[in-house]
Amino acid sequence: MTDAAFGFLLLGIAMLVVLGIVFAIASRGGPRGEHPKPPAGVHMPNPSFLPVVFSVAATLIGAGLAFRREEELANPFLMIPGLVLLVLAAIGWVRAANHEWREVEHGAHHDDGASH
Amino acid sequence: MSAQSMPARPAEQPHPKVPHQQGMPTALVGMLLFIASEVMFFGGLFATYFNARAAVPAGTWEPPPGGHLDLPLAAVLTVILVASSFTMQFGVWAIRRGDTGKLKLWTGITLALGVLFLIGQLYDYSMLGFGIADGPFGTTFYTLTGFHGAHVFGGAVGLAIILARAMRGQFSARNHVAVEAVSMYWHFVDVVWIAVFTTIYFLR
Repeated sequence: MTDAAFGFLLLGIAMLVVLGIVFAIASRGGPRGEHPKPPAGVHMPNPSFLPVVFSVAATLIGAGLAFRREEELANPFLMIPGLVLLVLAAIGWVRAANHEWREVEHGAHHDDGASH
Repeated sequence: MSAQSMPARPAEQPHPKVPHQQGMPTALVGMLLFIASEVMFFGGLFATYFNARAAVPAGTWEPPPGGHLDLPLAAVLTVILVASSFTMQFGVWAIRRGDTGKLKLWTGITLALGVLFLIGQLYDYSMLGFGIADGPFGTTFYTLTGFHGAHVFGGAVGLAIILARAMRGQFSARNHVAVEAVSMYWHFVDVVWIAVFTTIYFLR
């Protein structure tokens, strides 16, 4: 098996693993039966700097892939901070989304549709 | 879509604090906007492909020496993906009737076809005999088909969530906006593949 074929095999296995994890998480989360209807009106997410952090992380990763020595897969001084930042931003974003979801569910969110 | 289609609210009922949701659900509007941005994204990739193709002398746009394109396999993959669009739509029609059993069945089949497509594409990649670094043809070929494959994978993630949620009975004839949104995305991915397939394999 060539290196490329082995890489594609690994990629295929990784895809199946991710699909399995997604399915497992989605199967456990949430109540059985229909969800209650979301509250009426427009819900806007709170202001957040996380999108910018995400972009900076993506830029660092992209630069890390581009500006590297020939024998390196990526420039570690750009890639590692980029990946760390990406993971932190992703965790922060999921936490913020969960927090907002709980706010909406518990009625702390008053949205008369006119304030936005 | 129009305000006229909503039933009139009786006058004695107190005016609601929040406006009643009218027209298309916001989730579907969001998906449409997302798909619109994806159209622009693929537009850029196609433009790159045509630019690179126009820059080489006529008749020399072909895989690098030692490589080849596998048209029969690509045709089979096309049939698989187009069929999966039909099975997806059967699932949507089923849940509109409130038939959750058929929704699970058709979503499962669609997901299986999507995974089959991805496996077929990776197998194709491993047999082509050229890589992404092998000239403009290799670069544009892998960029176009690779990004499309990533979108199929994204759609498969969505389908896995739909299937899992359907198995927990979270959808009904009235409440299934996520199914509609994922089906829109899946049809989009299918249409893009038809364009990619036609461009790479027939516009030689």
